[in-house]
Amino acid sequence: MITPSDMQDLYKNPVAVLRRYKDSEVKVIGYTCSYVPEELIIAAKLQPYRVSNIGASTSALTPSFVCPFASATLENILKLEDFVSGIVVAHTCDPMWRLYDILQKKVDKPLFLLRVPHNTDSELSLDFFRMELIRFKEFLEENFGEKIDGKDLLSSIELCNKTRNLLKNIYMLNSGGKYKINAFERFQLTLASMWMPKTEFNAQIKTLSLNNNENYGNVRLHVNGTAIYDLNLIKVIEESGGFVASDDLCTGSRYFWSNVEKLNDPILALAHRYLRRTPCPSNGPLEQRLEYIEFMVKEFKAQGVVTFAERFCDPILYDSVHIRNMLSKNGIPITVIDYENPTQEIGRIKNRLEAFIESIGG
Amino acid sequence: MSLQKRSPILQTTKKIPELIMEYFSKASETKAQNKPIAWITVFTPVELLRALDIYPIAPEHFGAMCSARGFILDFLEEAERNGYSQNLCSYSRCTLGYALSGMNGLMPSPDFLVTFRNSCDVYVKWWQSLHNHLGIPLFLGETPYVLTLEDLNNYVLDYVVKQLEQLITITEEKFGLKFDMERLVNIVKLSDKASELWLETLKLRRAKPCPLGGRDSASDIFPLVVMQGTEEAVKFYEELLREAKDKVAKNEGIIENEKFRLLFDGIWLWYAFDLIKYFEDRGAVFVYEPYSEAWACRLDPSKPLESIARKILTMGLNVSIDLRIERFLKSIKEYEIDGAVLFSNRSCKSWSGPQLVTAEALSRKFNVPYLLFEADMADPRQYAEAQIKNRIDAFLEVLEER
Repeated sequence: MITPSDMQDLYKNPVAVLRRYKDSEVKVIGYTCSYVPEELIIAAKLQPYRVSNIGASTSALTPSFVCPFASATLENILKLEDFVSGIVVAHTCDPMWRLYDILQKKVDKPLFLLRVPHNTDSELSLDFFRMELIRFKEFLEENFGEKIDGKDLLSSIELCNKTRNLLKNIYMLNSGGKYKINAFERFQLTLASMWMPKTEFNAQIKTLSLNNNENYGNVRLHVNGTAIYDLNLIKVIEESGGFVASDDLCTGSRYFWSNVEKLNDPILALAHRYLRRTPCPSNGPLEQRLEYIEFMVKEFKAQGVVTFAERFCDPILYDSVHIRNMLSKNGIPITVIDYENPTQEIGRIKNRLEAFIESIGG
Repeated sequence: MSLQKRSPILQTTKKIPELIMEYFSKASETKAQNKPIAWITVFTPVELLRALDIYPIAPEHFGAMCSARGFILDFLEEAERNGYSQNLCSYSRCTLGYALSGMNGLMPSPDFLVTFRNSCDVYVKWWQSLHNHLGIPLFLGETPYVLTLEDLNNYVLDYVVKQLEQLITITEEKFGLKFDMERLVNIVKLSDKASELWLETLKLRRAKPCPLGGRDSASDIFPLVVMQGTEEAVKFYEELLREAKDKVAKNEGIIENEKFRLLFDGIWLWYAFDLIKYFEDRGAVFVYEPYSEAWACRLDPSKPLESIARKILTMGLNVSIDLRIERFLKSIKEYEIDGAVLFSNRSCKSWSGPQLVTAEALSRKFNVPYLLFEADMADPRQYAEAQIKNRIDAFLEVLEER
C-alpha cells in the first residue's frame, strides 16, 4: 500500500513503484503520452504506468538534435523493459513517432503505436480514432488474455473520471486569483496518479490534508509546455518569487481537464474525450490551444506566462511565436526558456525567471 | 587518391532550370488571372488540386531552390527575427520568412493552404503557422503511419479517401470551382506515366557504369514534385529515359572511372551541391537514393481517389521501419552498392530519428560500410565543409581498402 507521504515522494523515484508491481506480479503497461486512454488498460486488468524521462540521460540511438525529452524517454523504456509487460507509444510529434520505430528494433515486449490524428476537430478523425481504439483494445486482449467487457470498461471510465475530478478540484483551488495550493505539491499528486493504481490514489488523496507550504512568491504565472516530470523546474519558479497559478502541460491540466461522457458506445466516448480534449502542442487546431491558454490566464489571473521549451521541441518552438502574439494583445508578458538538462542548467533558468518575475513586479 | 576530370550531368537534366522558371511564370499568370493558388506540402494530392483548377506550389521546393541559389539567408533571418528558432526546419523557416516579408519573390501568395501530415509532423505546425500569419483557409489532412500493408485496404485507407472527398467539397465551396472526375482520370493517367518512366530510368542505374548520378537525380525529381499530371512532366521523363538508355547502350557512365557505387540516404544539401561532385571526382557515384525513388508512385486510373490516397499514405517516410529497411536492403543487392552515405539532417527529425537503427541493419546484414554526417539541408550556416570532406576522404579510403 502506498501511503500519502510515499505518494508525494513518488516523483523522486517512480521506478520504486514498478518494483512493487513486479514483486506483487501486477502486469504493467508502460505508456508515453496523455493521449493514451488508461481506461482501456485498466479494463484489461493491467496497470498503466506513464514512462517519464526521470533518471535517464539522452539515448545514443537518437541524433543530438532530437528533443532530449523523447530521447531520454526512449532510454528509460529500454532500461525499464523488464518491469513492463507491454509498451504503448502515441504518435504525436516526430521524435515520439520515431521512438516507436527504434523500439520496434530494440524491444521484445508487445509494442503498440496509437495513431492520433493531428486534425483533432474533424468528424472523420473521430471515426478513425474510434477504430484505432478498437485496435488498441484488441491488442490488449490478444497479448494479455483478458477480454475487455463493456461493464469493466464503464467502471474503469468511472474510476478515471473520478481521478480527473479530484485533480481538477485541487487545480481549481487557485482560480480567481487565490493562493490556495502551490504547484509543486499539486504536480506531485498529478504525477502520482499516473503511476499508482487509480483506486488507491482516489482513496489516499481524500485522506491528505493539503497544506499550502507557502514557499512561493506572489507573482501569478501560467506555465506552458509539453510534459514536465522534473519538478525542480516548478520549484525554481516558486523560489524565484513566482506562484504557478495554472498550466497547460501534458503532465498538468491537459491530463485531467475533461472527462469521458456517458455514451452508449464507450469506445466512442473515449475517442471523443481523448481526441477532443484540449490539443497538445503537436496537434491542431492552433486556435483551440490559444483559446485554452487565454482562458487559463484569465481564469487564474496569471500576470505572466513561462514557456518551458525542451531544446529541439518543434511543436513548442512554433507555438511560442503564436502564443507570444496572442498574449501581447492581452498585455501579458511571456518568457520562453529553452533547456536541455534542467539539473545542469538550473542556475541559468533561475536567473532568467528572477529577471522575468522582477520585471512583472515580484 | 587521384582526381578525375569534371563529371558532367545529363543533357536532359540541364532543362530543369527552364522547367522551373516556366512553372513559376505560370504561377504568376494564374495569380494575375485571380485564380486560386495553393501552397502545399510535397506529398499532397497534387492530381486532385489540378483537377479542381487550383495551382499547386510547394514551399519545400522553393526552400531548396532558394538554398541552391544562395538567397535563403534573408528569409531564414526574417523568420528568426519573428521568433522562429534556428532549431526548426529550415524549409519552414524559409517559407515563414518569405510570408512575413511580403511574398515579393517568385512564389505568388497563396489563397489556400493544403497539407497532409505524412513526411513529418512539422507539416502540421508549419501550415498552422502560415494559416495564423496569413489568415487564409487551411486544409489539414492526416495520413496515418502505415504499420502494415493491410492499412492500404482497411479503415486507414477509407479515412484518407474520405478526407480527399472532403477536400473536393471544401474547395468547391470556398472557391466556387467544379470538380471534374473525367479530368482527374486523365491527370492520374499522366501522373502514373511520369512515375512509370522515372522508375524505369532509376532502374537503369543498376547498370555498370551507372548512367545517371546524384546531381542528375537531385534535379530530375522536380517534375514529380509539383508537376504530376501534366504533359510536360511526361515529356521530360520520356526524354530522360531515352538519354539514360542511350548511355547504357554505349556503356557510358556518368563519371569516367566508376570505382565505388554508393547509396545516399537523406535530402540533398542544396547549398553544397558540389559535395556530390566531390565524391564523383574521387570515383564514387551515387546509384540509389530512397529520396529519388519516393517521388514515384504508380496510380490506377480506374480507382483515382483510392490510388491517390495510397500514394500519399505510402510516401517514403510514412511506412513502417521494417518496410523501409527491407527496401533499403533490397537496393544494396539490386544496385550492387559498396557503401552508404547517411545524411543526418538537422532539419528533418522525422528522417534522421531512426537512421542509426537503419544503419545498424545495413552493416549487420551486408557488412556495408557507412558514413554518417550531420548538417542541414538548406541552412548553410550549419555546414562544416572541411570536417565533412575530411570524413568523406576517410570513408573512401575504407572502401578502397576492401
